[in-house]
Amino acid sequence: MYLSLNWLLEFTPYSGSVDELSHALTMLGLEVEEELEAFQSLRDFRVGRVLACRRHPNADNLTLCQVDLGGEQPADIVCGAPNVAAGLSVPVAPPGTELPSGTRVKKTKIRGQPSEGMILSEKELGLGEDESGIMILEDQASPGTPLREALGLADRIFDIGITPNRGDCLSILGIAREVAACYGLPLTMPRTELQEIPPVCTERVDVSVDDGGLCPLYQAKVAEGVSIGTSPAWLRYRLLAMGQRPINSVVDVTNYVMLETGQPLHAFDLDRLAGPAIRVARPQSEREFTTLDGHTRQLSPDDLLIWDAERPIALAGIMGGLDTEVGPGSSRLLLESAVFDPTTIRKTARRLGLSSESSYRFERGVDQIGSGLALYRAAHLIRRLTGAEVLQGVARSAPAPWQPRRIAFRPERARGLLALEATDEFCRATLQGLGCGVEPGENGDWTVTTPSHRHDLFREVDLIEEVARVYGFENTPEELPRVAKSLHGEGKIPEKADDAFQKTVRHWAKGMGLQEVMNYSFVSSADLDALNLPRDSRLELANPLTSEQDTLRPVLAPGLLLSLRLNVDRNSEDLHLFEVARAFQLDRSLETTSRETTLLGIALHGSRNPRNWPWSGETADFLDLKGIVQNLLSTLHLGPEDWVEQTEHPYLDPCAAIRIGQEHLGYAGELSAEAARGYDARHHVWLAELDLDRLQTLARSVDATYAPWSRYPPVFRDMTLVAGPDLAFEKIRRQIEAARSPLLNDFMLLDIYQPRKGDNRNITLRMVYRHPEKTLLAEEVDSEHGELGSHLLRTLPVRFP
Amino acid sequence: MASSALQAFLDKLQQLESAFEAAVEEVEDPEELESIRVTYLSRRGSLVQCLSQLKDLPDEDRPEAGKTANRIKQRLQDRFARIQEELQQKRDRARRQDFDPTLPGRSPRTGTLHPVTLVSDEICSIFRSLGYEVVLGPEVETDFYNFEALNIPQDHPARDMQDTLYLSDSIVLRTHTSPLQIRTMQEQSPPLAAVAPGKVYRRDADLTHSPMFNQIEGFLVDRRVSMADLRGTLAHFLRRIFSRDIQVRFRPSFFPFTEPSAEVDISCVICSGKGFSQDGSPCRVCKQTGFVEILGCGMIDPEVFKAVDYDPEEYSGFAFGLGVERVAMLKHGIDDLRLFFDNDLPFLDQFRFYPAT
Repeated sequence: MYLSLNWLLEFTPYSGSVDELSHALTMLGLEVEEELEAFQSLRDFRVGRVLACRRHPNADNLTLCQVDLGGEQPADIVCGAPNVAAGLSVPVAPPGTELPSGTRVKKTKIRGQPSEGMILSEKELGLGEDESGIMILEDQASPGTPLREALGLADRIFDIGITPNRGDCLSILGIAREVAACYGLPLTMPRTELQEIPPVCTERVDVSVDDGGLCPLYQAKVAEGVSIGTSPAWLRYRLLAMGQRPINSVVDVTNYVMLETGQPLHAFDLDRLAGPAIRVARPQSEREFTTLDGHTRQLSPDDLLIWDAERPIALAGIMGGLDTEVGPGSSRLLLESAVFDPTTIRKTARRLGLSSESSYRFERGVDQIGSGLALYRAAHLIRRLTGAEVLQGVARSAPAPWQPRRIAFRPERARGLLALEATDEFCRATLQGLGCGVEPGENGDWTVTTPSHRHDLFREVDLIEEVARVYGFENTPEELPRVAKSLHGEGKIPEKADDAFQKTVRHWAKGMGLQEVMNYSFVSSADLDALNLPRDSRLELANPLTSEQDTLRPVLAPGLLLSLRLNVDRNSEDLHLFEVARAFQLDRSLETTSRETTLLGIALHGSRNPRNWPWSGETADFLDLKGIVQNLLSTLHLGPEDWVEQTEHPYLDPCAAIRIGQEHLGYAGELSAEAARGYDARHHVWLAELDLDRLQTLARSVDATYAPWSRYPPVFRDMTLVAGPDLAFEKIRRQIEAARSPLLNDFMLLDIYQPRKGDNRNITLRMVYRHPEKTLLAEEVDSEHGELGSHLLRTLPVRFP
Repeated sequence: MASSALQAFLDKLQQLESAFEAAVEEVEDPEELESIRVTYLSRRGSLVQCLSQLKDLPDEDRPEAGKTANRIKQRLQDRFARIQEELQQKRDRARRQDFDPTLPGRSPRTGTLHPVTLVSDEICSIFRSLGYEVVLGPEVETDFYNFEALNIPQDHPARDMQDTLYLSDSIVLRTHTSPLQIRTMQEQSPPLAAVAPGKVYRRDADLTHSPMFNQIEGFLVDRRVSMADLRGTLAHFLRRIFSRDIQVRFRPSFFPFTEPSAEVDISCVICSGKGFSQDGSPCRVCKQTGFVEILGCGMIDPEVFKAVDYDPEEYSGFAFGLGVERVAMLKHGIDDLRLFFDNDLPFLDQFRFYPAT
């Protein structure tokens, strides 16, 4: 909401500085978001006096002018306007300035004659529509005077952020009321005196309202003999300064009074109303209606309309109809000032996507008492500006007269909640200053009645906030409270991975050399299609911002892959990424319809090690990924886990499922070649996703206990097995364990060698023998090693080389 | 005069020593030296063999032979040790010559944490140190938790403050982490204090708005909690997360779930509240005001207490919410919100430095 300081001063005699006012408003909760100079674009223009004119020697319609700009020498300016003449005061754009349209004014030659600037029309200045000739300044300001000064345009504009609860401050008067209350200044109301002529308005029009809940008050006045034209400069300039476009004298007045008082008004052409009569009612059924912007709109039975005797003539509180719009030929007006139900207006405005200055104010609540003042103010101005005669009285229907609310208020409670030393006297003065009635009662219980313009005061706490605002939040002392803890609910185990666990995993991942990414939770459904993810369990947004972000991701891969593509496309191809985030799947049995799982996603692509000398040149592979996952599980004291090959995964091929016992933890594998192309991959993409909620549940049940170990020296014996290509290493591992060799302390895979001929692999293992209580003899080890070898030969399709 | 047997023994020793000397003279590497040791000085080496002949000598020759033999043995051993030492020194010298301390180090792969994680952790740990617990909740929420229970009824202009992404009429992507106030208060009874970090969603995307960002909601409920407690808590927090000498400004605002409500500004951390950069140009971050908005807060509205069956006459409390990216931008001078979700490696790489919190 723009606030013109000149306008504000018409209502309250604030005499401090602009900066102080800006600060004071912000501290009252009316945040000054920006301070602007009115008509900033006219900053560099000057008043010029045309000293002499002669015909341009080379062009009939151009005039050579000598213009006094207050300098030592008059300026030569070539002018094309028919109305230029010696002796006139005119607006001049000197060379180097810029017109509001963006055109730069330069020292130039026009048809051979020098021209040092430009004499401007009203249209060129952005001050009006007149482009028939240059603008002639009536006020004989001395040459060289800044144009804004000469036209009285100098003003400071505050752009104020009005919070949704303060509809009463969507007007100059409303803000003036706050300033007056804050500084203890008087408030001058706008002039409304009016000479009225008979007959009374009700002779001309009959007003009725169907439902007082939708329209508690409807008032109208009739003006006759209106001659509509361009508004006077002061009115147009003020509207322009407030960011509004002047239209004609009647519409301008309604807009002016709305900005001034916050009450939206509408003027109907009375001669176009059937009846004439006014009825406020909902339509019985769906129907069409053409608003004055020329759009035909589909109405629903929930909308509220203004009707004449036959048809709708306005969308109540939002926009008038095209058929009854006031235009240059109108001579009789019906001026409406009404109060509508905020929710009804809001629903219609939202459904139609039609928000206006008027609906914006009605949605936030207008002043039912002030609505009459606005009507008289507008009638006063229309009479003054259009020569109209205003009929006596008001045609009205007031089915729900305004009732002040009565609120109990305890100053002691205010002091306690605010920790401020606001005395009873201060509380009373503040509330009264804001327009409330205050009746002190027994035991410090007061009764406060609220003014009609405040729709945000319902409860004691709302009044307490008023006291705090005026006392100054800045005066609140600082105390650091002791946090007392409730034991209720303590020890409850959350279902989801908690913050501490996520933090552990993130720090572990950092230690693994992985880099954390954070992707949007939503991706495009096309991204999910590309990964063959099922459609039926997706959670789709009803009103996505873009189709790129229309579905919540059911796994982390789509986001991780977007990070991958972005980096590859920007020439960072060695990626070791991780992300901890929620994934979402449709589950109608849940309150939110969304099953959320906290996942850890890992993506590897490109070089295994940083590409610094000495660099091996190897790219990351499955064993890198597996090693990372195994490291996490061992870090959490979990395992041993199973890695089970999966052939049916939607986007990983090859793929392994990771399990501990019956618990499925996630998948690891390679992004299928088809999907990888879509993400511009330059190397194999290795992905793993693990369920952190489940991991935390498992990790909670682990007791990490110390185990003693043998202090006697280990003995190593290697063993090479020749195995076919189908023999999974896991089978060998299981058989080594199944052999239950009492001396075998550990074993490791030393090498896998693939001879050139044949499919067989030579698998070399190193067995570690160790006794807890003595040093082993070579013979004991040999015998144990031999037995283990025979066990493996017996139970597995392997042989010794 | 020595016996011929003695003489022969001594000659043999002499020859052995000469051969040893000749061998070690040429020795270049440790393996060669080792084979010399094996040949001459090991248990089966020629010196031991030679000495074993001592017992074959006549008794009268033995003392002298023994003395000489011991002397030579000692000499050979000393000589060997010296050669070994020299060789070691030579190798050390050679290694030192190859040593170039200016070569680039072998780079271990370095992980990084996302700046949002870093800042969020830092904020949470400050509140943890004040006794707050950290709570998490669903990102897909019901209208009740996201709006109704927080005193934001249907068709109220307050809904305009947050453009909402809907899954259906009654299911939304949470627009703030404030629903955790309701969920936590439903589960626990006062006194309680918690912070709720997490992702939130708005239907809004431009230079300064992202459809997803991170927020931390904090709240405390107890008997006799006042605005002074709120202000003190936030001032303490802001001084710890930014700097001790930051100025904190409270001004009235409006949130449906707090009353009174306030916005908190801090003196601009980019221009130190001066409004102008060091080169005299207007500060773009605070737009010359010297202050930047950092969070919204207030005393928990009685309507919210009613929604969770707390008695507003008995209990009071405060709540606040702040944007993590906003704090990260101010702390680290990040000027483009989109950087957080592009995950560009050159951006992520810059957050290695961060101290653990």
